[in-house]
Amino acid sequence: MKRNKSFYASILLLAMVLIMGFATFCLASEGGGMPIEAPAGHTPAFGNLYVIGWTAVNFFILLSLLYKFAYGPIYKMLDERTASIEGSLKHAEEVRVEVDELKKESQANLAESRKEAQEIVARATKAAEDAKNEILAKAQGDAVNMKAKATAEIESATAMAKAELKDNAVALAIMAAEKVLKRAITEADHKNMVSEFVNEAGDLLC
Amino acid sequence: MIFGMWDGALFHIGPIPVDHLVVTEWVIIALIGIIAFMATREMQSVPKGLQNAFEAIIIFTYDFFTQLMDEEHVAKKWAPLLTAFFLFILISNYSGLIPGAAHIAGFQPPTSNWNVTMTLAVITFFSVHVAGFSEHGGHYLHHFVSPSPLMLPLNLVEEVAHPLSLTVRLFGNIFGEEMVIAFLLFMAPFVVPAAIMGLSLLLGAIQAVVFTILSASYIAAAAGKGH
Repeated sequence: MKRNKSFYASILLLAMVLIMGFATFCLASEGGGMPIEAPAGHTPAFGNLYVIGWTAVNFFILLSLLYKFAYGPIYKMLDERTASIEGSLKHAEEVRVEVDELKKESQANLAESRKEAQEIVARATKAAEDAKNEILAKAQGDAVNMKAKATAEIESATAMAKAELKDNAVALAIMAAEKVLKRAITEADHKNMVSEFVNEAGDLLC
Repeated sequence: MIFGMWDGALFHIGPIPVDHLVVTEWVIIALIGIIAFMATREMQSVPKGLQNAFEAIIIFTYDFFTQLMDEEHVAKKWAPLLTAFFLFILISNYSGLIPGAAHIAGFQPPTSNWNVTMTLAVITFFSVHVAGFSEHGGHYLHHFVSPSPLMLPLNLVEEVAHPLSLTVRLFGNIFGEEMVIAFLLFMAPFVVPAAIMGLSLLLGAIQAVVFTILSASYIAAAAGKGH
């Protein structure tokens, strides 16, 4: 263990003090007129009724003083503090309940608005789908119509072309026959013969 | 002047003699009263300064006795008395450490006289039985003959032994301490008594606590469910 200067200094001081103390004791024992006299106390007499009475009176005065200035105000303050803390806690609880309610409400609102939004989207989607289907159906109908019309036109054109072709063929055949035969046949016979031929030829052609 | 465990009157008020230690008691009571008055003069909900310190003492002792006595309504009734015991005894014990104690006329630690400690112990004695009767009524008497009537003499002796032990313990400790310091002051007046005075600080507090705790436990035993 390291011992520093202050340790030795304090030992020295203590030694000096003890020596001085001893010197005082020696002086005192010789009755050198010291300020402190030798203790000459004795146990106090027991049953000093005046002291007992005074002490009891004094103690109850102390008790009443403490009741007046300490216990009364401090216990009252404690009760007030308890009441105020309880009030604060109660208030906090109320606020908490309120906040909970508000939260619940806002959550309900949120859910509702979300549902509404979903409904709107669903409705819009359905409307769009409907429109799409309608347009599609209409387009299909138009296409079918157009196709039918075109087919009809084609058919009529074909028929017309056929008829024209037939007529032309008949005229040609007549011309050819006239040229070949160079003889007069009754117009009616002629026509019958040719048209028979043409019909056959036409069937083959078409 | 002799070393003063004065055993006589300092002066008379009419026919009534006033002892040295009675004057010290007055000073101690005035001191406690003034501190209490100052502390609670302007009570604030959020305490600070002296109010805080004094409130801490009162509340600490109150909580302490509540824990010690188990039953809160009993503790609430008796904590003020016990706190008064504690403050009075503590400051009485410490008053012996002030230079001049027992050397200046009218200044003697009250607890170094057994008339004073006996008075306090007798107050405890009556408090115990008042607490017992107020809690249990006439049934309280039953505990003197329990567990069997044969125990009656022993129980009575115990009831007397309690205040007697309180008296002698407090008086003996403080008187002895005062005497030791006085002798040391006489033999080696520098530094050496300081060590014993340091011990006395501890001793004064311990004796105040012991007296108070024992009183509290006697009251709790009388007022408790055991009877």
